[in-house]
Amino acid sequence: MASRATSAFVLICAGLAFAPIAWGGEAAKDGGPAAQARDVRGWLMRIHDAASRRNFQGTFVVSSGGNVASARMSHFCDGANQYERIESLDGKARNVFRHNDVVHTVWPASRVAVVEQRDLLTSFPALLQAGADTVGDWYELRQQDDERVAGHAANVLVVRAKDAHRYGYRLWSDKASGLLLRADVLSARGDVLETSAFSDISIGVRSQPDSVLQAMKKLDGYRVLRPVLSPTTLEAEGWAIRQVAPGFRQVRCVNREMDSAGDVAVTGGAHRVLQAIYADGMTYVSVFIEPYKDNHHGRPMHAVMGATQTLSMRQGDWWITVIGDVPAATLQLFAGALERKK
Amino acid sequence: MSSGSVTEAALLEQLSALADGEVDPADTAVACARWRDDGRVRASWHAYHLIGDVLRSEDLAIEPSRDVAFLAAVRDRLSKEAVVLAPVPKAERGFRDAGEARPNDAGARTGRRWPWVVSSAVAAGFVGVVGTFTLTRPSAPVPAEAQALASAGSPTLVASRTDTAPTAVAASTPAPARSLALDVSGVVRDPALDTYLAAHKQFAGSTALGVPSAFLRSATVRNYGR
Repeated sequence: MASRATSAFVLICAGLAFAPIAWGGEAAKDGGPAAQARDVRGWLMRIHDAASRRNFQGTFVVSSGGNVASARMSHFCDGANQYERIESLDGKARNVFRHNDVVHTVWPASRVAVVEQRDLLTSFPALLQAGADTVGDWYELRQQDDERVAGHAANVLVVRAKDAHRYGYRLWSDKASGLLLRADVLSARGDVLETSAFSDISIGVRSQPDSVLQAMKKLDGYRVLRPVLSPTTLEAEGWAIRQVAPGFRQVRCVNREMDSAGDVAVTGGAHRVLQAIYADGMTYVSVFIEPYKDNHHGRPMHAVMGATQTLSMRQGDWWITVIGDVPAATLQLFAGALERKK
Repeated sequence: MSSGSVTEAALLEQLSALADGEVDPADTAVACARWRDDGRVRASWHAYHLIGDVLRSEDLAIEPSRDVAFLAAVRDRLSKEAVVLAPVPKAERGFRDAGEARPNDAGARTGRRWPWVVSSAVAAGFVGVVGTFTLTRPSAPVPAEAQALASAGSPTLVASRTDTAPTAVAASTPAPARSLALDVSGVVRDPALDTYLAAHKQFAGSTALGVPSAFLRSATVRNYGR
């Protein structure tokens, strides 16, 4: 099962995507703490930029909780266009093709393709700029001696969480390009919960957008699914959330169709689930709310996979699921803060 | 091979895809059959590979005349080289036949090679053992006493014997309060939970960052494929 083990790296990068936005306007401050924050920001910006602007190809390995999964990854940036191709190397064949905000996820064996149009990019900046908090308030960055990863000299950055509500990270960033070569998620005790790394990578390869575009045209004979997310607010759905974990703020709230049997909007039995997402600049937490059903929802559950924790519980007529790469206590805070208004 | 231009175009497209390694087994068989039967298809196949080579490396995009000139120069130099005629020593032949009865220096070299091979074999075996241990870690339910041990300290992960494994497990993974809903492969058994995970990570994929986000999505949304 190649599936699960990939989260840390992506979560970090997803977080890094928030980061520059969250820091907007903060960089000008002088003095000790601000200088520190600018330092963190500078490094994370560099990693973020490299991931979107560089051309690279490599094999990516993720290990968490004793599982190992790998994938072949290509990324091309051609002016304003971004192309991406990812093929899982373990378990069932599954390919992802991305051209800017259009993402195809394809399962060749079962001839199923999920096509998504991403309109979410625009909604992020406004929401994050509204907050005054910065990532520097919750994380501090320390540079360690350089190391070598996948044949490249790398800066080693330790991103330490300043409180117990989030995990720390150790990041290996290519000295030449800034690209993230390896990322570890660390518990408060310093244990590695999840490691993601390139085992080999070529940076600055020739752009081959056609390898992505051609594949995206070949959906003949595929069952094409197009999941729909409709934006909403917790208030509009009759919910309020009091005090969430410090540093986290809501970045999005959507209604989505889900099938309790496990397939997202594939069969007719889909039902609506409310999903609210909270981010602290590095990582994020999802809160799912749906009506409680005896036959679908069992006992409260707490599952751990690598760095990802999942908490499910009943709250009156509702079933709450909280997921994130944060300590379980943080998820508890989210679940406990939910309040039904009507 | 003139069954209409449409078929021709489709075939060429398929051939191109095959060159890129993007064709499923059934179509591959068809394309290979056409390749075998049709000289023009073989020519196209060669052209696609040439295009691919040139796209992959500029070093391959050179004038053929350069190769010809190089080859001619090599032949020229070769023709001017003196031909060395030397008899094969008897001892050398003996060594080849007997395998290890190689005299003096060479024998010493063979002897030196062995310890390295042996030690690497031992090392490989060790890695195998460690690997097995690491991979089975999450499936083992953490015994209560092991948890107690862990909370008492000693987070050592050097497990050379099996009976120390539970300690290592408790020490290195945060032990969940309730049910660990993971099966042997570490995959959540509850398919509904998988769906939430997918939804959670899909969101990550929709952020501004390119590469790894989509990677994550690809890695978690497995239920569609059923």
